[in-house]
Amino acid sequence: MKNNIQNQLSHDWYDQPLPSNVSIGKGSWLYSSYAFRHYNSTQTSGVIIGTNTGLYNGTFFDLGPEGKVSIGEYCSIVGAIICTNKNVIIHDYVFIAHEVVLADSAFAQPGIDNKEKTGCSSTSIEIHDNAWIGMRAVLLEGASIGEGAIVGAGAVVDFQVPPYAIVAGAPGKIIGTVKK
Amino acid sequence: MTTPLFFKILLVKRLGVMADKFDEIKGTWNYTNLPKNISIGKDCWFERKQSFDRFRSKLDLGLKIGSRVKVYTWTTFNIESRGFLEIEDDSILVGAIFMCADHIKIGKRVVVSYNVTIADSDFHPVNPSERIEDAIANAPYGDKTQRPVVMTKPVVIGDDVWIGVGVIILKGVKIGQGARIAAGSIVTSDVPAGATVQGNPARVLENS
Repeated sequence: MKNNIQNQLSHDWYDQPLPSNVSIGKGSWLYSSYAFRHYNSTQTSGVIIGTNTGLYNGTFFDLGPEGKVSIGEYCSIVGAIICTNKNVIIHDYVFIAHEVVLADSAFAQPGIDNKEKTGCSSTSIEIHDNAWIGMRAVLLEGASIGEGAIVGAGAVVDFQVPPYAIVAGAPGKIIGTVKK
Repeated sequence: MTTPLFFKILLVKRLGVMADKFDEIKGTWNYTNLPKNISIGKDCWFERKQSFDRFRSKLDLGLKIGSRVKVYTWTTFNIESRGFLEIEDDSILVGAIFMCADHIKIGKRVVVSYNVTIADSDFHPVNPSERIEDAIANAPYGDKTQRPVVMTKPVVIGDDVWIGVGVIILKGVKIGQGARIAAGSIVTSDVPAGATVQGNPARVLENS
């Protein structure tokens, strides 16, 4: 993947460069390197962002040393906090709204080795193609959002959501399916 | 090494780049500019001065923070003129927005996660006609002294409580020692010590 943005973003107000293990695809936009304020990933590719993806104000990568995030193409992430010491995978055409939090546990802290449980798979959260995450939703370890599914505003999800389902509430419940 | 706080602040101010050598206080901003009615204990860590932007308490002591408290970017001390917020030792505030008109007390070793709001008031009257008065008095150039009295009730959070992502805690709530509040909960009534609560409104989970 070609990195079209220099280590120092040209439009940035924050004077820190991007971490060296971050790659951003062609046609993608990141609001500031401030997104990596609490970034401690030591993995060879800590954050991979695909092409034509927008990461807007308020997005943060609060990764612990083993944290890894990959984001596909044509995603719009309008201010989500990703706090993990595991793998978070976001596929293509995903919409994520304001103040959404993706974390290993509800009590995770920024950039710290948040290892509470053991024996879990290393993938913490996965969001499949074309899913839509509403404002202030919380995705915890074990959340897997199926293709085209919708997570309502303020919903809390830590389970597998089938493709094209609609989830709402805290704790989240499947309340319907999307008409295709 | 126990350098008095005052000298550390001076050093941080003078040397700027040296700031990172002090694990206890990071950031090159000048802590001496904080209002006089804020008391901060030893070895605290504050990420941004902006956390204090909405502090406007007129009490002799409006904000009291114990020792070794860690405060991240997203935390906001939104304290009104008669408000008093108290935070005890070793607490970690990741993203707490405190909306304090009366009194909020946070115990020792409390962990508060992202996007959490803790309020001790409704900030507007419930009665519709009083709310019209409030809207007029609260206009950009309105007479704010004419605002009606709004109900407030102190919030008390005990030691070792963990508050999950996106929780909202409303006025008058008392949370007992060691309780856990699951992500996305709206807490409207008291939580017993050691319990785990979840949902809107938050209810005690049976297996806790």
